[in-house]
Amino acid sequence: MTKKRLYLELENCIGCRSCLAACTQCGGHEERNRNYVYDVNPLVNRQTMPLMCLHCVNPACARSCPAQAIQIHETGAVLSALVEKCIGCQNCTIACPYGIPKFDTEQNLMYKCDLCIDRTKDGIPPMCASVCPSNTLQWLTDEEIENKKQQFNLDNGKWVTSLPYLEGETNVKVNLPGILQGVTKLF
Amino acid sequence: MQAKAAVNEKPVHSINNAFASKFAKSMFLAICGLFILTFIGTRMFTHIDLNLYGYMVGTIVFLGGFFYRFIAWGERPPTKIIIKKGIKLLFRKSTPKTSVEHLATYRFIWNRGIYRWTQHVLIGWGCILACCVTFPLVFGWMYFTMDDNGMYNIILFGMQILTVPADGIIANLSYNALNITAVMVIAGVCMVLYRRFKNMQARAEQKFMYDFLPLVMLILVSVTGLLLTFLNMFMHGHGQPAMSLIHQWTVIITLIYLPFGKLAHIPFRPLSVFAKNYREYYGEQSMKKCKVCETEFVSTEQSKDVVEVLGVNDIHFKTEEGYHLAELCLPCRRKYRIAQFSGFPTHEVKVKEANQNAKG
Repeated sequence: MTKKRLYLELENCIGCRSCLAACTQCGGHEERNRNYVYDVNPLVNRQTMPLMCLHCVNPACARSCPAQAIQIHETGAVLSALVEKCIGCQNCTIACPYGIPKFDTEQNLMYKCDLCIDRTKDGIPPMCASVCPSNTLQWLTDEEIENKKQQFNLDNGKWVTSLPYLEGETNVKVNLPGILQGVTKLF
Repeated sequence: MQAKAAVNEKPVHSINNAFASKFAKSMFLAICGLFILTFIGTRMFTHIDLNLYGYMVGTIVFLGGFFYRFIAWGERPPTKIIIKKGIKLLFRKSTPKTSVEHLATYRFIWNRGIYRWTQHVLIGWGCILACCVTFPLVFGWMYFTMDDNGMYNIILFGMQILTVPADGIIANLSYNALNITAVMVIAGVCMVLYRRFKNMQARAEQKFMYDFLPLVMLILVSVTGLLLTFLNMFMHGHGQPAMSLIHQWTVIITLIYLPFGKLAHIPFRPLSVFAKNYREYYGEQSMKKCKVCETEFVSTEQSKDVVEVLGVNDIHFKTEEGYHLAELCLPCRRKYRIAQFSGFPTHEVKVKEANQNAKG
């Protein structure tokens, strides 16, 4: 089984919020979604972009957790807090550079995107990627991501994933909008 | 250069210098403590139940694993901070209430589900009560004597604290304490197993070594313990010595395993009280304002601590605007990221974020 990654093509997002709804339906998510969809310029246009845990290679949330409740799966996914270990200090919500972890005060428990680990550990795409109607969220092999890179490479060094616009290496790859790259994508 | 500095340093006379490591110190103190308590409890070693000496050795081996695991864990930067400040804030007015809710009545588990709460209370309290009976018996802190007149004495630390009729309710409860706790634990473990076999969420995530092994151990301990009573009462003690050894083996294995698996949450759960105090106390002191929207979202102290811990881990989330990402409230931090992606400063648009909670 070749390793696949979540891959985001942000400008494809049409704001349908299917990913949020699908997230609630994942086996391990207790009907609570862990991802976000944002209006880029809410008072002016309808452009939206999804935001979810990017599964950092060196996750700040896990580094700041006093209870070692945030574990990293062998696939690289940064898991939601272990229910028996989370002590409810909320360090992770402060540490995360993207503001992803959510906290339930009643249950004294942090929960976050675990990349639908029950699915992805067996090579099944996460819920959000499997429902996304506009290919904003895709589940691809490294080779396919490399092909995407070739496809958009205009020899002007403007292919940008992840690093320049993120805080560190992530397991989820993000492709920035064509508008920044100086290309218009053809579908 | 370093050597020179070391020479110039004033020698520090601390008790810590007497030990090779924190581990050695903790182990030494714990065993001394046990020894002294046992010395007092057994009235100068005159009332030791040698039948239980295997548990004594098991407990000491357990202490080795326990200190190894928890000292290593306490050295992690975030853990160190919360333990240090937690101890400082231990005598807050709200501590008793928080402790009871977190450690005795498990209110947060109730909020996670009544079924889960029931199973946790049965197992948790079954184990706590069983430990409260077993360890004092093993180290001779508690023992029983019977007078000729049919009265039954419970002796704690060499003091006769209770004298009750040998066929009364209290006496019967104390004879059967471990049977009752065993039944509690078995019922709880059965509930857990049912949930783990039926619940799709649990089935997706569970692993044998992490989730099932502790259950297997608990059920082995409880069943072999109950079998001891059964053999004594209905089989005239036939097979009791062998069963006693099997029971001892299961208990010692469980003890040794405890600090390293799922059961490790038992000794470090009190940290959740520390965490609550920490948040409450520093929240009252001063709140941190988000650098973008000025909402108060966390205590200044915690924000500072997290930034420091991340710094220790060589993670510096400095933005071009000159602030640390941990200084933004969560919605602003998310919008800030969108802004990095799109090139448009979403976080500066004064619009509350759209509802992000899809109802499943």
